[in-house]
Amino acid sequence: MRHHGGLTQVELAGATGLSPATVSNIVKELTASGLLHTAPTSRSGRRAVHVTLARRLGLVAGIHISMRHMRVALADVANTVVSEHSMPLAKDHRADNELDKAARLIVDMLDSVDASLDEVLGVGIAMSAPVDAATGMISRSGLMRGWDGIPIAEVMQRRIHRPVFIDNDSNLGALAESRTGAARGRSDVLYIRLAQGIGSGLILGGQLYRGFGNSAGEFGHMTIDENGPVCRCGNRGCLEALAGGPAILESLRETHGALKLNDVIVRAIGGDQLCVRALADAGRHIGIAAANVCNLLAPERIVVGGDLARAGELIIGPIRHSMERSVVMGANKVADLVQGQLGERAEMSGALMFAVDSSSFGHDDFAAALS
Amino acid sequence: MTLATELDPARRVGAEPVLTMRGISKGFGAVQALTDVDFDVYPGEVVALVGDNGAGKSTLIKILAGVHPQDAGQITFDDRIVSITSPAASRELGIATVFQDLALCDNLDVVSNLFLGREIGSAALDEVEMESRAWDLLRQLSAKIPSVRIPVASLSGGQRQTVAIARSLIGDPTVVILDEPTAALGVVQTAEVLNLVERLRERGLGVLLISHNLADVQAVADRVVVLRLGRNNGNFNMSDVSYEDIIAAITGATDSAGLLHPTASTFDAADTEGDTE
Repeated sequence: MRHHGGLTQVELAGATGLSPATVSNIVKELTASGLLHTAPTSRSGRRAVHVTLARRLGLVAGIHISMRHMRVALADVANTVVSEHSMPLAKDHRADNELDKAARLIVDMLDSVDASLDEVLGVGIAMSAPVDAATGMISRSGLMRGWDGIPIAEVMQRRIHRPVFIDNDSNLGALAESRTGAARGRSDVLYIRLAQGIGSGLILGGQLYRGFGNSAGEFGHMTIDENGPVCRCGNRGCLEALAGGPAILESLRETHGALKLNDVIVRAIGGDQLCVRALADAGRHIGIAAANVCNLLAPERIVVGGDLARAGELIIGPIRHSMERSVVMGANKVADLVQGQLGERAEMSGALMFAVDSSSFGHDDFAAALS
Repeated sequence: MTLATELDPARRVGAEPVLTMRGISKGFGAVQALTDVDFDVYPGEVVALVGDNGAGKSTLIKILAGVHPQDAGQITFDDRIVSITSPAASRELGIATVFQDLALCDNLDVVSNLFLGREIGSAALDEVEMESRAWDLLRQLSAKIPSVRIPVASLSGGQRQTVAIARSLIGDPTVVILDEPTAALGVVQTAEVLNLVERLRERGLGVLLISHNLADVQAVADRVVVLRLGRNNGNFNMSDVSYEDIIAAITGATDSAGLLHPTASTFDAADTEGDTE
């Protein structure tokens, strides 16, 4: 159901390979238990039953805009995703185009689950750049050049007339992993997001730590090599300039031509030694930065998310190795390093949670919905 | 088809091109549609062919699809010099073309459309086998088709495009040509088609994408080849090129002599031009 948004019972039978009678029984049972919602409709002139996932209290939308990808989801307030879409984006994408696309995606998705915009309580946006909480703009220009100087939440609000909340994607990824993923139940967590860029979110004392001006957690822009290459942020020797997506791809350019990050991961898993090496080199730099954070904040657990986390131990192993060389605490006090559980959906899930948290509706209702 | 082929490490973007066109010319009476055009497609690569109206994009793919033969020039496919004399010959080589009109039969259901002309079963059709293979194929493409037994007429634009692309994959092609796959589609359907293009690329196919929408092109393509007035006017690696550079090549603000970023995989001619800069 989550894959299709909404389906008729007959289509459901086709998609699952079950007999229509079985589907009808299952739907009845799940509707009774409140998981599904049915409505009469017609297909090819015949009466049919349109089945969607049930939603209580209303919906929230979550949008994750990263360097090369957009992911949009609708969920109910209990964070059950009812519909989800993703699409690749152009390099240097622009705010107006992508917000148009996101708004139209949301409207289309609402349509597919028989809902209207009025039911949307709020929209959470996760941006792959630090966001100034006061202005809703990206707080440092040049990081996402098509989005500079645009009050993103306000512009989106004008398009769909619903409340829009915006935050940095690594912060929201950290939020999602700490509530439902690999960092559940841990109070001090560093979430590292490895993708085209490198970011991080901090959970300190069980709370998301945003820092002054909402700009904490710029892990990717820690200086690793004072005399290193110039980073896209303008400084020299940032972690991202050494171990970010473009740096990894550039190191393979001579031998492999123009690759995408995903190709590198697939090949490394397939045993391509140069790709394994490129990931390991990146991992070693990241490990040094992670050790610095450990020495400063002593997190209990480090969760690695983002596209590159799919490489698993191929990237996490080298991070762990170089991190353990540079931390001061004893071996049993060093943060354990794990792969995120929510994968590439973490930031989007975080955006949904953020939208629920920020939306104004009674907490009693919320508690009722969860029980 | 399986995960094993997706993870095949032997696949290299920088390796030998699967399809090479050299010095292709084509005229229609007084109109010279293509003049001395070079073009390559590598396995596991999405190459976009862009250009203004009348730049010769359609003529070029029609030559590949076997609609009409070139007047001059050479086509190499898998290291063999080939002549593509008919659509059947093109298909036999392993080139699958999805034209803009999709050429689906609206009154037939998805399964019938997928296997049209290639039905399984000797005397009677093996509907069960065809249906399960249809589901397999659509699932591999992560396609959002609600039912394979509804007439194609009742599907959305994106779903019809998906069916047309899935049909092109039934003959196990090595190169897939998509002519304006996202034109006239809504944003959800466009998202589906772009994801589909990425799936094709992951399967190691060479994908030739023709589109007027540069945002879509930039989202999925690895390389972009610009045609202008029937001639090559640029061959860029997507990672090196900005939106403005592509537009400049399309409009003719930069001509091929002033190629901005000749790349390792550029044609020989472009390389020498790059060296003399």
